[in-house]
Amino acid sequence: MSRVGSSIVGTSVKRTDVIGKVTGTARYAGDVKLAGMLHGKMKRSTIAHANIRRIDASRALALPGVKAVLTHENVPRVLHYGAPHPRSISVTCDQYILDRKVRYWGEGVAAVAATSEEIAEEALDLIEVEYEPLPAVFTVEAAQAPGAPQIHETAYAGNVLFKPVVVTRGDVAQGFAEADLVIEGEYETGRPTPAYMEPNVCVCQWDNTGKLTVWVSTQAAFMVRGILAEVLGLPLTRVRVLVDHMGGGFGAKQDLFQHEFLCALLAKETRHPVRMEYTRGETFVGGRSRHPCKIWLKQGFKRDGTIVAREARTVFDSGAYGSHGPGVTIVGTTALTSLYRCENVRLEGRCVYTNAPIAGAFRGYGVVQTYYALDIQMDEAAERLGMDPVELKLKNAVREGDMAPSDHPLVGHGLEDCIRRGAAEVGWAALRQRPREQAGTLRRGWGMGCEMHGSSAYPGIKEQGNAIVKMNEDGTAVLLTGAAGLGTGAHTALAQIVAEELGLAFDAVSVVHGDTDIVPWDIGAFASHTTFMVGRAAQMAAAEVKRQLLQRAGEQLEVAAEDLEVRDGVIAVRGVAGRRITVRECMGPKLGIPAANLVGNGTYTPTKSYSFAAHFVEVQVDIATGQIDVLQVIPVHEVGKVVHPIAAAGQIEGGIQQGIGHTLTEDYVIDPATGRSLNAGFVDYKMPLSLDMPPIRTILLETAPDPGGPYGAKGIGEDPIIAIGPAIANAVHDAIGVRFRHFPITPEQVLAALKEKAGAAA
Amino acid sequence: MPVEIALTVNGVPVRAVVEPRQSLADFLREDLALTGTHLGCEHGACGACTVLVDGAAVRSCLVFAVQADGGEVVTVEGLAQGGALSPLQRAFRAHHALQCGFCTPGFLVAATALLAENPDPTADEVRAALSGQIFRCTGYVGIVEAVLAAAKAERA
Ligand code: FES
Repeated sequence: MSRVGSSIVGTSVKRTDVIGKVTGTARYAGDVKLAGMLHGKMKRSTIAHANIRRIDASRALALPGVKAVLTHENVPRVLHYGAPHPRSISVTCDQYILDRKVRYWGEGVAAVAATSEEIAEEALDLIEVEYEPLPAVFTVEAAQAPGAPQIHETAYAGNVLFKPVVVTRGDVAQGFAEADLVIEGEYETGRPTPAYMEPNVCVCQWDNTGKLTVWVSTQAAFMVRGILAEVLGLPLTRVRVLVDHMGGGFGAKQDLFQHEFLCALLAKETRHPVRMEYTRGETFVGGRSRHPCKIWLKQGFKRDGTIVAREARTVFDSGAYGSHGPGVTIVGTTALTSLYRCENVRLEGRCVYTNAPIAGAFRGYGVVQTYYALDIQMDEAAERLGMDPVELKLKNAVREGDMAPSDHPLVGHGLEDCIRRGAAEVGWAALRQRPREQAGTLRRGWGMGCEMHGSSAYPGIKEQGNAIVKMNEDGTAVLLTGAAGLGTGAHTALAQIVAEELGLAFDAVSVVHGDTDIVPWDIGAFASHTTFMVGRAAQMAAAEVKRQLLQRAGEQLEVAAEDLEVRDGVIAVRGVAGRRITVRECMGPKLGIPAANLVGNGTYTPTKSYSFAAHFVEVQVDIATGQIDVLQVIPVHEVGKVVHPIAAAGQIEGGIQQGIGHTLTEDYVIDPATGRSLNAGFVDYKMPLSLDMPPIRTILLETAPDPGGPYGAKGIGEDPIIAIGPAIANAVHDAIGVRFRHFPITPEQVLAALKEKAGAAA
Repeated sequence: MPVEIALTVNGVPVRAVVEPRQSLADFLREDLALTGTHLGCEHGACGACTVLVDGAAVRSCLVFAVQADGGEVVTVEGLAQGGALSPLQRAFRAHHALQCGFCTPGFLVAATALLAENPDPTADEVRAALSGQIFRCTGYVGIVEAVLAAAKAERA
């Protein structure tokens, strides 16, 4: 960690991207309009599992205005990774652009380019497809049953995607033998989708040198470039990917979807630029959801609350393709080694193909599922042990030096700090003693949930952050970064870090991003990576430029560079009043000598760092209707160093919104008999909106800064969606005494559970 | 059969020939290159495409361009007056009422309509007025604060 106690870092400067966004001038991929541009559309399967016996595009091709039709018969047949960081253990190589087989309802089987969207759509109906139906499986149980149809030949065994992950620490049998209390339970999580506001879209154009340019809404421009180049057989010099602004991704827009490949090929075939945009329905059907998950969890406790053994088996439903299945399974499963310390652990995680929609990366990456189970079981254990759940969690909270899921020793007591602060803030001890409502139908309850999440995907992927900083001759600076502008204010944070390091005003730093031909390579904006890793790389690049700058100033002022400091754009001799020169004077051309070319390069490969949070939640349950309302949330997050307080709080509030969604209402549902999607749209897929959102009082702590992060900062993107779920489930239990072990928790289920409880009591 | 329409868009008179089935959103985005109006669902559910037609907030994906014939249309591009951000735009910026910005034009336009009708709304009224606008990034907290702040600034 370098210097703490900075001035620009830690201030909510005006974000650089906002003016364009409030005036409607910010450009998104879907806004790109090129001369002669055609419109592409995809034909999607009407069956979940089948071989394509025959596909005939002749009638579509005959329609006036149709310029090209692609089917599996005329696209390159290359098995590829649909997800980024190819060749890492996190992702799977199991997709073709178009295959002879379909594996889920709504999979693309053909694509059309036409002079208008309407004609393209009309042409889709004219493509004849004859299917040979195959038996389909829509649950992990059915997919693993003897005789289940094999969905992919490339699977590890049957429909199991990859070799199940097994983690063993200590001796579980001995741990359970020593336990005074053993609790086990089964937990199940739904299929929420990220539902980013901007549907998937791209525009592709080839120039006369055979170079492809792609405007696309993605979190991982260099991955799009790499995979497109690989599948299309092009060198990287022939693929340029441009991303200016993008309308959200939340993890899922790390993948390549079918349209990027098809759009590029349609553009090649027609020699015209082609635009392909998913409808909202397609963004559900052909997009990526969270992995539905089943978790069996068993823990042993001593009477004083000490956890002595933990055993778990997780099964993640990957849907029809692997995408991030291995990564999500590994991260989600190994997360159970930690959060609450335990020396004897045995975990097994597996990931299974089904004919359901594709699950992929989504904020919280497997940990949303497993910590939901863990934190609910902790609440249950506290009840059975006659302890306050806060006390039980504090007793077992991971601490400095404990082994993290990544097998690194943890830095600081971040989790403990979050729990203590939150408990003090809400007056937890007094809340536990409060009188309970007896009259009427409304019951209130308080609950809390905890989480920790790693910044960066290290060590699963040996990521790196890169940055280049250049000085201009007027004393301003430019940062070149490959980090995507997901909308989180990342570029602002990076500019803050560069300004801070160089001793320049925030406005004196501009950011160039979003062009793979220009900026340094970046893995993509995910895994809470940008501020942590690219931020540090930017700091290193800026430090290198500063070294060169002070060298130059030293020559001009005739003093040693070590004796100089730079602040607010002025370079001064330390401790000597008056011996100073502005950065502008130092940089500028003089007497026919051109300005200096000062460039710094920063590359940073981190170890792992973890951010922590505890969420305290009050809910209200209407026992007459089963309706659950979240009344207030007090999230406490330990993030090492807050770079931009308002942006950080915004990330947290947004994560909580999505977390309330998946816990109570959001579930992408398919017909259990056919795999057809039932609610692929914003009318039927219910997200919390303005009237559903409670007041959120965010508290940010900087008590466990990371030695690797810029100024000690750690990631923030993933964390806020994790702890809110179990906090709500625990609060519901506090309110009505019913323990739910799944999400979403619907009003019908609340009513049914209350009825059952009343029946049992009678 | 194409139809000729005449309307004003952001104060500028516009004459155009459009297909009767063309939505107002597509007309604005494609024919007039006003791409600040975004399409999140194209079936009236998300509100990203909200524009003002004769002062009322409407979902431009749900109305046809021909229905705006003779009307006054204001899009997000028309909110800043003479190069200066409107109080709402300024407040959205100051209160971090956005991240990715995709839904922002719709929110700004809907909030403009709200403040025109009710210059002094309560937080609950703001929430109710914006309840049909989908926001996915930062939990509405900043948006409600921004609208209240803008209302205060405009009254001052
Ligand atoms: S695009 Fe019009 S309401 Fe969603």
